Amino acid sequence: MKAFIALVHREYIEHKGAFLLGPLILLTLLFGIIILAFTVGRVDARLSGAVLTVVPLIVYEIGFLGLGFAWLLYLGATLFFYCADGFAADRRNNAMLFWKSMPVSDFTVLMSKLTAAITVLPGIVFAIALLSGVLLYGVAFTTMLINGTATFGALGAIFGIYLQVALALLVALAAALLWYLPYMALVGAMATAVGRWAIPIALLLPALAATVEWVTLGGQHPFATHTWRFLEYRSTPPATTYSDIWFSGVDGPSGANLGAPRFDGLAFASDLLGHVDWLQVGLGAVFAVAVIYLASEYRRRSNDN
Amino acid sequence: MSEQFTTTASTSTSAAPIVSARGLRKSFGRKEILHGLDFDIPPGRIYGLIGHNGAGKTTTLNAMLGLTNCEGTIRVLGEDPFARRAQLMENVAFISDVASLPRFLRVRELFALLTNIHPNFSQEKARSFLEGTDIKPEMKVKHLSKGMVAQLHLAVVMAIDAKLLVLDEPTLGLDITYRKRFYRRLLEDYMTEERTLLITTHQVDEIEFMLSDIMFIRDGSLILHMQMETVNDKFTQLVVNDAQAQEAARAYGPVYEETRFGQTVMIFDGVDRSLLEPFGRLSTPTLSDLFVALMQRPTANPETAR
Repeated sequence: MKAFIALVHREYIEHKGAFLLGPLILLTLLFGIIILAFTVGRVDARLSGAVLTVVPLIVYEIGFLGLGFAWLLYLGATLFFYCADGFAADRRNNAMLFWKSMPVSDFTVLMSKLTAAITVLPGIVFAIALLSGVLLYGVAFTTMLINGTATFGALGAIFGIYLQVALALLVALAAALLWYLPYMALVGAMATAVGRWAIPIALLLPALAATVEWVTLGGQHPFATHTWRFLEYRSTPPATTYSDIWFSGVDGPSGANLGAPRFDGLAFASDLLGHVDWLQVGLGAVFAVAVIYLASEYRRRSNDN
Repeated sequence: MSEQFTTTASTSTSAAPIVSARGLRKSFGRKEILHGLDFDIPPGRIYGLIGHNGAGKTTTLNAMLGLTNCEGTIRVLGEDPFARRAQLMENVAFISDVASLPRFLRVRELFALLTNIHPNFSQEKARSFLEGTDIKPEMKVKHLSKGMVAQLHLAVVMAIDAKLLVLDEPTLGLDITYRKRFYRRLLEDYMTEERTLLITTHQVDEIEFMLSDIMFIRDGSLILHMQMETVNDKFTQLVVNDAQAQEAARAYGPVYEETRFGQTVMIFDGVDRSLLEPFGRLSTPTLSDLFVALMQRPTANPETAR
């Protein structure tokens, strides 16, 4: 187990540029721009304060949810490229023989990469998302203080909102990682075999699989096949009605609805987890382990390939 | 010519061999690279595996290290290396012929990772091996010179308490100073009676002093496998000038003959030195002379295409 954790740690060291330094730079830029905007008067603190006065706490909810969603999108793209590149990095870096001189199997090495992809690497981006929420709240709260529309008494409610949104983001992240685990494993397995070519192949593979079904079993066209429908279903993130209902409540017909209930992170999490197809998640996990095993057998024989 | 040098029993030791190969064959496509090698490597020896490019050295080493699957049988420390590579690597260390240390790591990160990954790695030893060098813990591998990477890699493998150390062209591309330092370090700080060392290199003269045994491989076949003492007894080099003496010496069947600076040099296998003494100056051939003598090919192209 110690060796496995060390291997996950080396994934962090090798890819901290994409998962830690890059997001930190983005965050610094974003924060710097916001501060600059206030400093040079591009943002009217009085007006902003007025907005915050009219809809005092919804801004914190929507702002952090939006920011968190943006970070999840960043994470999704980065994880895709991590799987398509990181699984082939040992060969590309000419370090394959070094890692093969270590007393760890190829399966362990590849599983450590997949484990890093669903634990420490998204965990770092999530931590940065939380930090960006703190900065967002700091800017918004300072604006309110400058405008004289907020008191420190509001901090308790703001902190509560922060926790609710953070919980929602955490559960959404966990559900998404579990849901897309087989995709990550498949891209990683392909990268083990073909290196960076896994990127175009990963995009072509669904169409190819649907076309094979269309050619062999018939149908109107490749996009009207069982394969394509299944892939569409499996590519769609787990649905939640809670957020739709909450957003429609907030966004009233004549602007923001001040009477909308607070965002409930627990209710969102329960609703989301209730809508997850757990059978598919279980099958996906089995599929992920199976393709990683096959990839490890390829890697074990890579000197012969 | 190769038939007369085919594998010779190397040692009389009764200890279980560290490496044992029987009928080892390997093909890439239709091309057979190894043609049924048979050999044992006993513990506590320093072996030199020597051959031309493409002769099958690296493939043989890969078979020992579980990096490739072969026909026939090969056992390292009693294990099938291909089936149990991960377990085997607890007691086997190797340096491949490429700069394979992970370039993104700092030296201290590398040591910290190895401490957790390899049960027989000692960080203290590795640090002590680097004392007196220019390599510092905060340096990244990618910022080290070629020689420093070799020093670091050597420090890493020497800090692993392994029973077998395999070095495949470990000094390739290094200057003479680094090469000398590399081998001296290996002998002084690492080798014990319990450890076995297997080296491949083209710079055979540089490692000759440290070898206890040699294996010459040519076109996927072992053409010589014996202890260095036996090599010294068995092979004789004769330098002869006189044409009549040359003719007389040829009657004893030299395995190799060439003209250097107007002198004729012959190498004999298993001919009593007293019989050759009257013809000229006798000496023991260097390993590189012997290598050239035994590796002579009928074709002008020494490279075997894969």
